[in-house]
Formats: sequence, structure tokens, C-alpha cells
Amino acid sequence: MKLLFQLFEKVSPIFKEGGKLSFMRPLYEAMENFFFAPSARTLCAPFSRDPLDIKRYMTMVIIGLLPCVAASIYFFGLRVIPMIIVSYMAGGVVEVAFAVIRKEEIAEGFLVTGLIFPLVLPPTTPLWMVAIGCAFGVFVGKEVFGGTGRNLFNPAIVGRCFLALAYPAAMSSSWVEPGHGITGRLLQYVTSANVEAITSATPLIHAKHGLFEDASHLVLGSIPGCIGETSGLMILCGGIFLLMTKVANWRTVASILVSAAVLETILNAVNPDQYAPAMWHIFAGGMLFGAFFMATDPVSSPSTNEGKWVYGILIGAITILIRNFSGYVEGMMFAILLGNIAAPIIDEMVFSVRLRLLRNE
Amino acid sequence: MRFRGGYNIKFDGKPDGLLKDVKRSEILYLPLKSRSFDFSTVCVDHGQRVGLGEVLAKDSNHYDVPLLSPSCGVVNLEKTPGHITLEDLSAGDVKSYTYQDDQEHIHKNVGSASLKRKLLNLGAWEFVKDAYTDRMPDPLSTPQAVIVSTVQLEPFLVRGDVLLKESLRQFTRGLEHLQSLLEYQPMYLAFPKITSDFAAKIKEQIRGYAWVKLIEVPLKYPYDNFEILSRHIGLKRSQGSIWGVNVEGVLAIDNALTSSKPCVERIISVAGPGASQPVHLRLTAGYPISAIKEAYSLENTITINGGMLTGRLLEDDDKGVPAECRGITFIPEHLSREFLGWVRPGFDRQSYSASFMSSLCSLFPERVTNAIRGELRPCVSCGFCEDVCPAGIMPHRLHKLIYQDDIDAVEQFRIDLCVECGLCSFVCPSKIELMQQFKDMKQTILKEKEIAAAEAAKEAAKKAAESQVDTE
Repeated sequence: MKLLFQLFEKVSPIFKEGGKLSFMRPLYEAMENFFFAPSARTLCAPFSRDPLDIKRYMTMVIIGLLPCVAASIYFFGLRVIPMIIVSYMAGGVVEVAFAVIRKEEIAEGFLVTGLIFPLVLPPTTPLWMVAIGCAFGVFVGKEVFGGTGRNLFNPAIVGRCFLALAYPAAMSSSWVEPGHGITGRLLQYVTSANVEAITSATPLIHAKHGLFEDASHLVLGSIPGCIGETSGLMILCGGIFLLMTKVANWRTVASILVSAAVLETILNAVNPDQYAPAMWHIFAGGMLFGAFFMATDPVSSPSTNEGKWVYGILIGAITILIRNFSGYVEGMMFAILLGNIAAPIIDEMVFSVRLRLLRNE
Repeated sequence: MRFRGGYNIKFDGKPDGLLKDVKRSEILYLPLKSRSFDFSTVCVDHGQRVGLGEVLAKDSNHYDVPLLSPSCGVVNLEKTPGHITLEDLSAGDVKSYTYQDDQEHIHKNVGSASLKRKLLNLGAWEFVKDAYTDRMPDPLSTPQAVIVSTVQLEPFLVRGDVLLKESLRQFTRGLEHLQSLLEYQPMYLAFPKITSDFAAKIKEQIRGYAWVKLIEVPLKYPYDNFEILSRHIGLKRSQGSIWGVNVEGVLAIDNALTSSKPCVERIISVAGPGASQPVHLRLTAGYPISAIKEAYSLENTITINGGMLTGRLLEDDDKGVPAECRGITFIPEHLSREFLGWVRPGFDRQSYSASFMSSLCSLFPERVTNAIRGELRPCVSCGFCEDVCPAGIMPHRLHKLIYQDDIDAVEQFRIDLCVECGLCSFVCPSKIELMQQFKDMKQTILKEKEIAAAEAAKEAAKKAAESQVDTE
């Protein structure tokens, strides 16, 4: 530890202004502050600060995602690991390149994007596609808008949407049947060449034809689907952890799930043969994963608490409508994208109401 | 308005109930600038011998509020820049002081005006603050209401109960004096929402005063802020000034009006995580800070005038305790850099979010340093600042509007309601200096308004001159 600190001290002049590698300064600073707490001190009141910083904030999301990662490795095999690594590398390269060009610090946001992105892909996605999708998501979804904090869309969803439109076959027709034994597919490396493991349909595709998978499989996650989205139980574990740390806002999650459940209950009451029960839809597909980990992204969701309710209701309702009344089987991705587009407008509406209330103060 | 937002930060180093007298100092450094006053009109000469309670300087911009000599001694104007130094101190006795008002016979019939003048001359008026502007109100004006607060919630400042325990009788007498200055305007007494024997005793005492309205305040920072209190009561800014007085002020008013003595003694807190022994001290303005530091501070600390959240840094140039000082806070300097601190479980950290293991155990005081504890990042709209804001405004939104330099929108989003409590800056995970930005922006808006007003006046004068020419 001391040695490492001395090493940083030794090489720091190279990265300082006028040094040989001064253009790589953002990378050096990121590394130094990764290992050692920043040395900055307060110059104005308040003279002490809360221990939470953005690194910790993003770490909480990563911890929340770990149960899903564990479940996905169990159900879909070891191939999940290289997918995550490739995604991190692609996202990281784009992020670092932009930080160097802009001469700004490297923001920690890509640590979350890089992990969420592979979790919303089918398990057979080729690695080059993962790389392109993640790079595209970080580039178009975030950097073009000015970097972390200024993006309109959730970068992971932009990347996923790009892949879904650019390579529709790879994204929707080839799924992996999860392992049903005790060890699952824990020790297997499943690619699209493993014919016995490949299936062409997920529960949502079956549902289009009125075939509803047993709900207990949906809760456990032993169904074909996107890598991290299948195991409702594990998503709930990680998601509730996130809500408890106040990193994800409970209003968004609650409003998505409740609005989807209410709408689906009504549809189910009208025609139980065509429309699945509410709980089935909540655990199917990416509904839970999207509600807990993607819609709650604070940057791309409305910044006001009232706005979060509207945003959540919008996403929940649109998802159910797309799933039941359109050609697409899964609606969560488009619903969140639409929610992201609506977020600034929702915010403006909340602001105007609040300003009217504040005017009398 | 209901009380909203707020956050109690638990820190180590709060002063206990002890009240100590300080050692007499050989020399006093009276700063000419304090938080809201600028005593630029010096009334004494270099080398002049002054008595206790004599006026050393005045602030001509604030109704000639005087800087009183806390002791007998010889004035030295050249020793330290920005200060009046008093040397060769001889034991001045407050008891021997007699207040002389040469104009008293003229004002005798006016009643409250003469009392208010007396308060100003004896240095008690500077404890009265306007709730909305936080400035000293015009001593000859009448407010729409008076708020007396016994609550003090900012970490490390003098606790109201310590003062009250010392002098409950003086406090109630001071309330009577305060009431005599008013003409049937309501008086509110902000009282902590607690049940203790002492609180019951005070309530019993106050019950006799029909003209005092009791408001119970939950013990959450910064509900003791006068602006928050007046908005809670429903007093509108447009309907006249609101006087805010805390316990110290009531005691000063009692001291000035009952015994006609100058208010030169004050009680301040010396505390904070960098204090070796957090206490309350009874001293006079101008007491050397170095002496306090030597006696009560640990090594490698920064010194702050005021509380930790709203105070100001005292530099080496500041030699003496300023006139309005309510407490001195010591905070250890951030020296060692923690290895991989952001992935540690964090049993020893107290955070507004629940991102550390410590949130599983009950709240505990944390020993902190002046580290920013993170790197500056763009706002991610996490909403913590809005959650803690007691004024009901949106700090994250204001921050973005200030970034865009959209002053009209900043005003529309009511930056003027900000009470500068510092909680938004404290909780921000992106480490944005929100409070400082708002303070600067308020100054900019004020300046622009002044310029606009001056221009409008010029225009009006021009028009008047033109119309005069026309009529001629």
C-alpha cells in the first residue's frame, strides 16, 4: 500500500501539466483516486461533507446487480463472464477517450452501464456485437449529450435498442434453454453452436400464442430470456437492496409495478385466455429488471418526486400495452426509452405547478 | 408551511453543559469587520486611553452600531491591520459603569424609541436580526412580529439550554422588556419539542405571559432558522420586518435595560471534532484566538468562526474573537489518504444515504475531517439536496440554471428562499458547492438590481428634466 502510494508520487510529474504524458492526466487521476481517497479539502462552508461520493453511489448499483449476475452464470453458463468483460472494455475505451479529449475527469457512470448492458442481451450474442452495442450506447446515449449527468437516455438502453434494430435476428430468435440440473449450466460455455441448448422462444413469445409458462419458473429464473432478466427472485434481492440504500428511488419502481399490475389485472379480467395474470407479467421478461435497475437511473428519469410517479405510471402502462397489443413481444425497452423522452416534459410540468405554489411564499 | 427537509448530522465534539470563564488576556484584538458589520468609522485615536463600554468604532451603514470597548486600556491602531488593539489592560469593572444618555431627557416621552436607542448604544441591538434578510433591522422601526428562539440546532454552537439554565429569571425579564418595545405586535417563542423537567419549568414560567405564543419546534437542523420559523408561522415577508432574537439577545436586552450596562461579555462555544475539550466559554469580543486555540484545540486543525455548516474560516490574519461570534469550531485537517476507501464496508461512516454498513447500526457520532471525501462530478439528479432542503426549493435545478447563467429563471425558482443552511452542499454525492453558488448568485442578483434601480432613477431624472424644459 505504501509502495503503491510512493509509485503514484513518483510517476505523477509525468502526468502533470508540461509532463510527457500530460494528455493522459484524466486516466492517471482516475487510477490514483481509485486507490487512495482524494486529497481535496473543503474551502468553504460546510467544512465537512457526507462520506458518500459518486464512486460509492455507483458501487451500490453494481452490488445490487451481483445477484442477477450470479443467477445468470448459473443458468446460462460461463459465457456471461467474457460478455461482461468485453462490455466493460468497450464502454471504458469510449469513456476514457472522451475524458482525454475533453480534458475532464473520467466519470464512474460507465461502470454501471458496462455491467447492465450485457445483462439485457440474449446469452448467445456474439462478443463483437456486445462491444459494438456498448460502445454505441455510451457514445450516442451519453457522450454526445455531454457526458454523465447530461444524458437524455439511459446509455444501456440506447445500446440495446441499437442492437435490436441493427441485428434483429440475433437479438430475438436465438435463446438459451437454462440448465435444469442442480449445477445448472455452471460449468458450461454455451454458444449458438450448442444446438441442444438453443431454443427459439421465451415465455413472452409463447404468451403471444396464449401459452403461459408456470409462474414459479419465472420467479426462479429457469426460463429462456435475456441474461440478467430471468430470475425475478434475484432481481428483487438486489433491487430491494438498492431501494434501501436510497440510490434507487422507490417511487419509480412502485409506480411502474403498480400501474402495470393494475392495467394487466383489468385486461386479464376481460379475457383470461388471451391476457396473462398481472403477477405473471411482472415476473416475465425485463419488467422487474427494467423497473429496478434501468428506469431508476437518476439522470434520465425526472428529477422531481412527483415527476417520478408520472414517469413510472407511463412506463408500466406502455409496457403492458406493447406486450399485449403490438407485434413486439417485449415492451420494457421501448417503454423506458419513451419514458426518458417524456422525462424533461414531465419535469417541466411539475416545475410549473411547484413555481405556482412557491410564488405565494 | 409545514416543517420539511432538514437533517441531523451526528458529530463528535459537541460542547457539554459546562460554562467556563477564560483567563484574563493581556491584549485584545477587536476585528473591524464581523459577519454583518463593518466598523469603518473609528472613533478613537492611537494611544488614547479608553474606559469600559466606550465606543471604539461605528458602522455608519448599519444605524451607527457601535463597537464597544470590552475593557479599560490603551488603543493601538497600528499593531495589527484590520483590528483595534487594546493593550495595557486594567481591570475594568462592569459594575462601575454608568450609562449616560445626554438625549435621554428629550426622548423620555417617546418611550420605546429611547429604549431602542439605549439598546443600540449598549451593544444589545446587534443581537436582533431580521428573519428574512438576516440583517440588523432599523432600531426605530416596528416589526410585524417578534420571534424569540430558544433552540439552537447547528452543530457546535452555543446551546440555548446552557444559557437558560444560567439565567432563567433574566430571560423572562428580558422577554418583558422586549414586549415593552412593541405595540401589540405578536411575540412568538420557539421552544424545542421535548419533554424534560427543565422544559416543563420554563413552560410553567412562560404560561403567565399571555402575549407570548409558544411554537414547538422539532429538534432537526435547521428548523431554528428564523426564516424557516416565520414561514412556518405564516408571516409574510411583504407585511413588514420580523425580528428574530435568540436567548443570547434576550439576555443582552435584559442586561442593557435592567442594569444599563454595556453588553461586552458573551458566551461562545468552543467545540468540534478537533477540540480537545468542547466547552462553553464566557469571554469578551477581541479575546485572542491563538489563546483559545492553544488551550482547546488538538494539533493540525482548522479554525472556524461559527458552526460547521455555515461558519467562516478564520485565517492567520484574524487575531481576535469577532463581535458577532457565537462559537469557534475546530475541525481536524485531512492528512492521510485512505486506501480503497470507497469499497470499504464503512462501519465508521455516517451518511445521509444508507450506502454504508453503519446504517445497520443505530446512529453514532462520527469523527470527521475537513476532507471533501470525493471528487467533483456533474450533478446526477439523485435528489438528496431536495430531500434535505428545509426551504422547499430545488437546489439541483437551481444549480443547473446557474450553470446556464439564466438569472431570470434562477429568480423564478425562488433562490431568495434559500436560507443558506448548507445541508445541500453537505449531502451532495457529486461534491458540488451548492450553497456557495447560491450565495454568489444572490449577490449577483442584488448587484444587478441595484444597477437597474440606479439606471431607472437616472432615466426618471432625465425625463423630469426634459419635461421641465418642455413646460418652460
